[in-house]
Amino acid sequence: MLGFSTATLEALTTAVSNPGGPTVLWVQGASCSGCSVSFLNYVSDDPNLPPDAADILINVINLAYHPTLMTGAGETAVDALTAAFQAGGYVLVVEGGVPTAFGGNTCWTWSEGGQHVTFLQAVQMLAGRAAAIICAGTCSAFGGIPAAPPNPTGIQTVSQATGLPTINVPGCPPHPDWLVYVIAEYLAGNTIPLDVHGRPTALFYRTVHQDCPRRHSQEADHWGQFNRCKEDLGCRGEDTVGPCVFQYFNEGANWCIGAGSNCIGCTEPDFPTSDPLFVHD
Amino acid sequence: MPSPMQPSPAPQLPSQKSATRLNPRSISIDPVSRIEGHLRIDVQVEQDPGSAWRVYRAEAVGALFRGFEMVLQNRHPWDAVAITQRICGVCPVSHAQAAVETLDAAAGVTPPANARVQRNLALGANFLQSHILHFYHLAVLDFVDGPDIPPWEPDWQVDRRFDQATSDLLVQHYLQALEMRRKAHTLGAIFGGKLPHLAAFMPGGFTNKPTSAQLAEAHVLLDELIDFIDNVYVPDVQLLGSVYSDYYEIGGGPTELLAYGVFDLDSSGSNKLLGRGRALLGTPGVLPVDVGAITEDVTRSWYADSTSGLPPGAGSTVPQYPKDGAYSWCKAPRYDGTPQEVGPLARMWVNGDYQNGISVIDRHLARALESSKIAHAMDGWIDQVNVGSTSFAQHTIPTNALAYGLTEAPRGALGHWVKITAGVIERYQVVTPTCWNASPRCRNKLPGPIEQALHGTHVQDQQYPIELLRVVHSFDPCLACAVHVSRPTGELEVVVPSRWGGTSLPSKR
Repeated sequence: MLGFSTATLEALTTAVSNPGGPTVLWVQGASCSGCSVSFLNYVSDDPNLPPDAADILINVINLAYHPTLMTGAGETAVDALTAAFQAGGYVLVVEGGVPTAFGGNTCWTWSEGGQHVTFLQAVQMLAGRAAAIICAGTCSAFGGIPAAPPNPTGIQTVSQATGLPTINVPGCPPHPDWLVYVIAEYLAGNTIPLDVHGRPTALFYRTVHQDCPRRHSQEADHWGQFNRCKEDLGCRGEDTVGPCVFQYFNEGANWCIGAGSNCIGCTEPDFPTSDPLFVHD
Repeated sequence: MPSPMQPSPAPQLPSQKSATRLNPRSISIDPVSRIEGHLRIDVQVEQDPGSAWRVYRAEAVGALFRGFEMVLQNRHPWDAVAITQRICGVCPVSHAQAAVETLDAAAGVTPPANARVQRNLALGANFLQSHILHFYHLAVLDFVDGPDIPPWEPDWQVDRRFDQATSDLLVQHYLQALEMRRKAHTLGAIFGGKLPHLAAFMPGGFTNKPTSAQLAEAHVLLDELIDFIDNVYVPDVQLLGSVYSDYYEIGGGPTELLAYGVFDLDSSGSNKLLGRGRALLGTPGVLPVDVGAITEDVTRSWYADSTSGLPPGAGSTVPQYPKDGAYSWCKAPRYDGTPQEVGPLARMWVNGDYQNGISVIDRHLARALESSKIAHAMDGWIDQVNVGSTSFAQHTIPTNALAYGLTEAPRGALGHWVKITAGVIERYQVVTPTCWNASPRCRNKLPGPIEQALHGTHVQDQQYPIELLRVVHSFDPCLACAVHVSRPTGELEVVVPSRWGGTSLPSKR
């Protein structure tokens, strides 16, 4: 479904069998932790893929730093991070945008030697020795809601803040399969083709509307018309690229449009814009 | 090998009688991991003969400010439902619930029963995933060693009391709990569309129209969750309480509890599964909640003093940075000028379901028992969903309105306040549970609940202050929700705060 090639699956199996695992540093900036929570929702019944998030943590990657999951706190955690930084060559996963207003002081990540380190400083430092930078979610990739007008904390994308290219996995939050796809392809040593916004073209290539089951139904003119197309009520499916319709979310349970609501365009660089997300007088 | 924290001599505080302190030290933990968002804990300890170290001053320093209230200005009122969910990826449904209650009130619309029940189901499912996540993935590693690889290594490995077999069992439950919280999200997504950040909450109703097959699937998932909660989660917390029974006496904190209540059982707004009220430790009975008594103090926060002491409905967010005497971006909500603990313990206490005491273990136990109560109630709610029935009440958004909505997040009382002018949001204020619990000191110099709970805590080894983490984690703080603290800083120096009474210290660098 996600377009893994046989070679990728074989390479991934090799990576999975490596107990050392490649080091991953996952840092959080102006985020809500929702991308991490979505990652924890990962599950697959494909025998060639890790069965769930726990398996990824235990058998696939060496997650040396993750603020929400790691046991270590304080300097113990910072020492682990520092060791990974000095070794270099890790995968840097960034969740949340990079605040630059107030000297970056609206987001601190940790302290070193009694002095706080801003997220801006942290990302600029860690990006320098990363083998790859994966932006988990729309905030790190494009700024997202905290960057919406008037962008109170001067949010920049990771690419803007570091001057480096990033692999962008947008979504608010992204589907866990999208994150695992990128991690798996990277571990398999494959080049990941990206669109002009840095999004993997294997995932982000058709608009939500193109395959929407409601696209041929009558257009709703007010809320409460469950089965109708919501284009006139502000649905952004026509302008939003993403594979949501092919897999749904949460073990295939449902998706935004399946629940009778709008696509709010959460994978797009301009999300959420200044326009209403829902039309209602 | 764990590396030690580096204790440093405490700065001399003009406001404190340092001469009476025995060998005072400062301990900072930054980052405090296994929470949501960014939190730093600064405590000052003194030597306590016979018992190592004792905390005599604590400051909870949140370190993230995103300005959601400013982003919402001038937007369409309904946008608040989607946008405020993005405040927190762990409790987005509570923000959706608070926003729709606020906008329902603004429009004077009562959602149909089918909408009320589905809102309860999506919200309840997220309570279950959040509570399970909190105990097993955020808190239990303060007591048990995880697998011997990152992200469970390095750790401090101090004060471990479980035998190996029990410890292994709890790690197994950690892994099982990952699956259970995922299934709780799946259950919520059946109704809400997806999680985190669901789609179906709408002012006036609920957009989803589940099928009979989906309701049957929901029952299967819920049955599995109930089995886990009643036969694994609750017994594990009881076991923790028996092995670490001293933690029934640690982390007490404030003596006033506040609950807005949650899960409406009918359309009256006053009949809830968990009721609204206040409780004072040592005083029998439950007091009513007067919304007018809630104010936000910013004396010690990075906001303009002109906004201090205002009720949220009249409040505004005017950052002022730096500001003399301030040490937090977090405002300090107060009830009649007094800090309040919010959360599962407050809810269960107010509702008469759990009144054993206020402590680390009591917070965990109340949270587990509340999970069971909610899960069993959800069983009945699924049966109340009327397949094919309408879930939306037609209404018009008011051009001008002032309204609020009070509900509960898994970690405590949550309120939204809106002022709609000329059809758009003029002002939106969110008072989150972690603002209550992690609030800084206020005009009355009263520390926030987490700060109070840390006061008096004994630390055996100041290099590995596990006791502090246990106290902080028992509150399930979510700094993504709260907002933040910051200190004024230049390029290469740290000005240590006016919060130390105006004393500035040079940076160590």
